[in-house]
Amino acid sequence: MTVTLEAATGPQPGPDPSSPPRPRGATWRRLRQDKAAATGMVIITLMVLVAVLAPLLTALEGQDTTTQHPELVDSASGGTPLGSLGGVSAAHWLGVEPQTGRDLFARLVYGARISLGVALGATALQVLIGVSVGIAAGLGGRFVDSALSRLTDLTLAFPSVLFAIGLMAIVPGSVPRPLVLAVVIALLGWGATARLARGQTLSLRTRDYVAAAKLSGAPPLRVARREILPGLVTPIITYAALLVPTNMISEAGLSFLGVGVRPPTPSWGQMLSAGTTWFRPDVMYVLVPGGALFLTLLAFTLLADGVRRTLDPRNTEVAA
Amino acid sequence: MRRISVVSAALALVLAGTAACSSSSGHSSSGGSGTAAAFDPKTCQGGTLEVLNQDSISKLDPARIYTSGGGNIPSLLFRTLTTRNREPGQDGTKPAPDLATDLGTPSDNAQTWTYHLKDGIFFEDGTPITSADIKYGIERSFAPELPGGAPYLRDWLVNAANYQGPYKDPDGIAAIETPDPKTIIFHLRKPEGDFPLLATATQFAPVPKAKDTGVDYDKHPISSGPYMVASYEKNKTLDLVRNPHWSAATDPLRYACPDKIDVTSGLDPAVINQRIATGTGQDANAVTTDTTIGPDQLAQLNSNPALAKRVAHGEFPATTYIAFDTKVKPFDDIRVREAISYAINRTTAVNAAGGTAVAGASTTFLPPQKALGYQPYDYFPAGATGNPAKAKELLAQAGYPNGLTVTLAHQSDDANNFGPKVATAVQDALKAAGITVNLNPIDDNRYTDVTGKPSTEPGMSLQYWGADWPSGAPFLIPIFDGREIISSGGNFNLAQLNDPSVNAEIDAINAITDPAQAQARWGALDAKLGQQALTVPLFYEKDVSLFGKNVKNAVPDGWRGQYDLARVSVK
Repeated sequence: MTVTLEAATGPQPGPDPSSPPRPRGATWRRLRQDKAAATGMVIITLMVLVAVLAPLLTALEGQDTTTQHPELVDSASGGTPLGSLGGVSAAHWLGVEPQTGRDLFARLVYGARISLGVALGATALQVLIGVSVGIAAGLGGRFVDSALSRLTDLTLAFPSVLFAIGLMAIVPGSVPRPLVLAVVIALLGWGATARLARGQTLSLRTRDYVAAAKLSGAPPLRVARREILPGLVTPIITYAALLVPTNMISEAGLSFLGVGVRPPTPSWGQMLSAGTTWFRPDVMYVLVPGGALFLTLLAFTLLADGVRRTLDPRNTEVAA
Repeated sequence: MRRISVVSAALALVLAGTAACSSSSGHSSSGGSGTAAAFDPKTCQGGTLEVLNQDSISKLDPARIYTSGGGNIPSLLFRTLTTRNREPGQDGTKPAPDLATDLGTPSDNAQTWTYHLKDGIFFEDGTPITSADIKYGIERSFAPELPGGAPYLRDWLVNAANYQGPYKDPDGIAAIETPDPKTIIFHLRKPEGDFPLLATATQFAPVPKAKDTGVDYDKHPISSGPYMVASYEKNKTLDLVRNPHWSAATDPLRYACPDKIDVTSGLDPAVINQRIATGTGQDANAVTTDTTIGPDQLAQLNSNPALAKRVAHGEFPATTYIAFDTKVKPFDDIRVREAISYAINRTTAVNAAGGTAVAGASTTFLPPQKALGYQPYDYFPAGATGNPAKAKELLAQAGYPNGLTVTLAHQSDDANNFGPKVATAVQDALKAAGITVNLNPIDDNRYTDVTGKPSTEPGMSLQYWGADWPSGAPFLIPIFDGREIISSGGNFNLAQLNDPSVNAEIDAINAITDPAQAQARWGALDAKLGQQALTVPLFYEKDVSLFGKNVKNAVPDGWRGQYDLARVSVK
């Protein structure tokens, strides 16, 4: 939710209107050749696979997320897992959760579904809202522009975490929590995307080919879709890749504060939150979700950087 | 009782965390860290005691705070007619005279209680304390402007139920007589053998009418105890200094060792435990009255004998349990309630509360304290981890051969130990018996409002009950007396049980003034009620808390399970 403006100014100029769009295959190849981006993609693919295959993986391990194993924790010391490394064993690959003895691997892979699902869902929504508002503001008249821009400023100025806590509290319990989380995060975090899209639109609308399309009588929607949108792809994709980790942190933050997904549903943020009191007696309980979160965030950041380098027309280093 | 959230706890109640128990291995004597025997209250004076607490001090007015035995911090400021005797273990469950010369003289079948005040007792400004001040203090607690105190007096005193306090009704309560400045007489509408135990509450503290500023009295209540308020920033800090007009000769129970007591509230429990355990600088003089030891320190105890010596093990009578509304389906069927009783896994429930160091599995509603009349029973033996086979059998008999789906209400936060952690343990245990449990988290601050109103009461909810004083009466009456069902809200008889034979037995026991006799009868009543599976007791609480390196005589008293701030020393 806390979107930094430096990120928004990252990708500088739009594509050169005179040069034809680069073929998709070429972009893809360049992206794969970028080592950082390729690493990011591999990690992300793995994480997504883990999330999708969570039921299979836990079945393979023979555990589930909710069954408690009191025999695997030392009740007298508050529930510290028995055995080394938080109770790592052939049956419990990453050990067990303190107090309950629930399987940590199962909770981690199911937690990936929540963490990735919420972050990707929220990002998609943010891009959808942000691009629509941005293009409308950029192409619309002065009144439309200033109204939409003020609205954007308003969402950027919101104390978003406080607002999210408030929103989460009033939504009835019957609505699925991950969906609520994604929508709340998206509603509070589309402002920067809209600004970016508006800026790009403003610079594109003065180009000759846009003016030509307008003069030839193309309706505004068509102008937006056919002439403006392709020019927005680069900065938006780059920015979206940066939004995903931001949204993951938001989800983790809200779950950490106790307004995210509800127990016994696992999420990484909620695991981290529970882990804070355990970092000394059972450091694995913090390292496992923390490590997963760190790895995923790193992957998305690497990918975003790679995308920017690849799509940036000024960058000749990779193309050469 | 409980109402933890209502309580302004730092001050008042012993918090959820505060309990602890007789069976807590051989530790109970380690509380004083070996200095208890050599401790001399005459030479303990000096130093500043630091109190590090989680719960904010939101109320200081003696009319408004809800305490068991007069509280820990409030008892430093307010002397009451009687007070807890501050002894460790089971001996500490008895009251002792405080402002009064004795525990009171009952007459008229324990319906009239007469007290005489000691000589040489003064407020912090040097004004002598009279019986009229005590009467006025009680009358203030009836004022709707000053809510929050225990409800008993309203029920017990003759014709006091509708009294609106001295501001609206200056004539006062006729049922309290003060024939002379040293004598106070209470007229009750029914026999109450536990009156001397109730008289430990802060509502029995004297309040000088001339100094009463109504709602603002809270900012600087006039002290009758060994300390008085030097500065008080609501919800943050409370600094106490010695009251020059308090005399140790009239108050042998409070040692009043430190010269100053500084309370800081609103801290994180992990921070409190860490600060006391490390004991840097002023923290060497630190104690807490509302924070139980965390897993971080528990894990260190075996390898760190110096820290293990700084752990107090006390006992506060309290039970965490599942309550059923027996008026709604499917809990109107005793076989369903029995099935859940059989299926419960008390090992995971205890672990959810923090493990065997701070909670003990319980099959009885009364916690295992002799003073409450504890009698062991286990009518639906679930063993350590549950008996799902027997539960399934009972469910089939009740017409649910394919299992059952129920909803369990719980607090949304784990602070009071009946939040998501315990709820998910129950959920997992019942799954094995084919019972699907949906969780219904309710915000802590609204919890008793929702569960305490029969129209909004959930069919099945997690609950906690602690003793207002160490007796069976305040434990069983609010929960099982049919005349205590309050339809407008504030109800704790969640089973909605109204059994004339139970009500009659409660009246009969209330008339008994001999505690030993009463205890046996309360225990028998609890065992009788247990057969109906109106609740599923989960665990009783053990109170384990740390104290600083320089702190001496931190011996938990048997009433509250905490070390008594009026007796610890930092010299």
